[in-house]
Amino acid sequence: MAYPHQVVPAPPVRCARASGLRWALTALILGALAPAAAAEQPADPGAGEPGLSQECRVPGAQLYTMAKLGAVRSALGENRPLKILAIGGSAAPGASASYPAKLEAALEKALPKTDVTIDHRGLPGEIASGAAERLRTMVAEAEPDLVVWQVGTHDAIARVDADAFASALSEAVAWIRSHGIDVVLVDPIYTASMAADVDYNRIVDAVRTVAGQQQVPLVRRYEALHYLSSRSDKGEGHMLGRQFRLNDLGLRCMAEHVALTIATSLMRTEAEPEPKVAPAGPPLTAPQRAPG
Amino acid sequence: MRDPNAIDFWRGFALVTIFINHVPGNTFERYTYSQYGISDAAELFVFLAGWSIGIATRGRDGKPEPAGRSVVRLLARTVEVYRAQLTVMLLALALIAGSALLLDNPLILEWHNAGGFFADPIQSVCGMALMTYQLGFFNILPLYVVLIGIAPIFVLVGRFSLIASLALSGGLYLASLVFEWNVPSWPGEGDWFFDPFCWQVLLVLGFVLQGWHLRSDTLRRWSRRLIPAGLAIVILGIVLAVTGIRPDPLMVPEPRLLFTFEKTYLTPARLLHFLGVLLAFAPLYAILAPRIGPVGGYLNRLGRNSLAVFSMGSILSLIGQLVRFQTGGGVLVDMLVAGSGLVGLGFTAWFVEWRTRIKSSRPRP
Repeated sequence: MAYPHQVVPAPPVRCARASGLRWALTALILGALAPAAAAEQPADPGAGEPGLSQECRVPGAQLYTMAKLGAVRSALGENRPLKILAIGGSAAPGASASYPAKLEAALEKALPKTDVTIDHRGLPGEIASGAAERLRTMVAEAEPDLVVWQVGTHDAIARVDADAFASALSEAVAWIRSHGIDVVLVDPIYTASMAADVDYNRIVDAVRTVAGQQQVPLVRRYEALHYLSSRSDKGEGHMLGRQFRLNDLGLRCMAEHVALTIATSLMRTEAEPEPKVAPAGPPLTAPQRAPG
Repeated sequence: MRDPNAIDFWRGFALVTIFINHVPGNTFERYTYSQYGISDAAELFVFLAGWSIGIATRGRDGKPEPAGRSVVRLLARTVEVYRAQLTVMLLALALIAGSALLLDNPLILEWHNAGGFFADPIQSVCGMALMTYQLGFFNILPLYVVLIGIAPIFVLVGRFSLIASLALSGGLYLASLVFEWNVPSWPGEGDWFFDPFCWQVLLVLGFVLQGWHLRSDTLRRWSRRLIPAGLAIVILGIVLAVTGIRPDPLMVPEPRLLFTFEKTYLTPARLLHFLGVLLAFAPLYAILAPRIGPVGGYLNRLGRNSLAVFSMGSILSLIGQLVRFQTGGGVLVDMLVAGSGLVGLGFTAWFVEWRTRIKSSRPRP
């Protein structure tokens, strides 16, 4: 994550970035109509977001949607350590490169002079029944500034109705935010055998819809992995086959993708003064269909 | 083989409930009593385990067996449950990994936090042996191992005074709530899903109440008098569960855990609700038993072989989840999953009893 190095010392670049962001939003809306347009954007000539490592590069529009992170902003403003509760998901293969450790490193690189502490918890069970309660407990125990929540996998596997899932998720996110804690959502993974699964796509959509309605940033892991899967046809084989290799790649890239989303959202939080509430976040109320 | 009795019946009932609840999202879940109260079948299961320790370590006249024998008996049971936990964990991980391979779907690896194991097998396999690495839904047996492991303390104290045993247990419970003591998970952060320092109070309560129940009529008289209070608590539980009203863990005063409804810590509200359920439903067995014939026999058989049935139930419910996932669920699939699961539980119980009979009647090869 090298974005501040590019941004902070050179204001013109920052302008370029800002326009890039505006573009990202536009592309996001356009993307629903013409998904192919994203790859042709001049600001992002197919190389993906700069600042991401080579193997993890995905165009911003396919990686995240932004929203304000007020609680993180004020933690940084008061120079206190940033407390993050990271929920769900497993570490990437190899304990030394675990997701929480990588996320901490990536964020400290992106937010210099900030001490980031990460509490990583698994949350098995369905949000629609029970797990949302357990989440409340975790939040109450950790009292974080920000919750980074990988959500939807268990509900998708349990074939929970997407509407029931969306309303439970929406309630849980609203509850966290009502206590002045920021939320970043991460939607479920892309894998070929699930791409045509209607229920699965409805769960992915539901995460996106809730992120839009609750105006919280979203890491679009499904889209990002889909992009990476189309790009990385070549490369080393995986003894378990292509889908497993893609999954490993996704796990390796998670921390970078989350850190970039947080950093970009933070920049947006800074760029727009608090009273100007109206254009906060892309109103993604209309669910966008995940491709495939 | 024991005659049919209330303890085995309710334990069988708890086992069936746990099996159904461990296939999340299935149609029949909403017909289990767990959906209509603050506490659920886990409380019943642990309480009955305590009651059974009472039965196992005391004669019918209430006289305790020699102390040494009780300790060895509980130690043997601890080993047995630990072995079951290891076997079940290994099979569960193999089922998850095998399905992911067969269906070419790495999403399945994330099931119940199994992803941590496949990402970091070196630490996880140690955690598995230490029981600090647990899969979602596979966390009751580790609790059970610890509870039976520490039970000798309460059983031995109980030989001198049941009140002292209960006070010791209640003190540990309250302290754990106030100071939020729990056993850590490892690898990975967090704590056990079932906090043994809190849940032990239910085991000891079962053990102590069984002792009082044997010794005098007072407990029986009072439990009859308190039936209306039990019913009131049950009704309140239904209202709270249906309306979804519960305390906000960030709004309650400190110490937080005295006021919330958390399963992990068996918080006082859950404990109270369970006691209400106990008062309201315990007399039901005497009314039901003569009327339900084979169902009673079936539940009793499950209850008599609870460890084997529970272990098999965990595996069958995981298979049921995989079937539901791959087929997309639906009422027909749910009927198939629940039906074959219940037959599987019944078969397991029958098989264990058959094997015991064979073993005892013939010399081993």
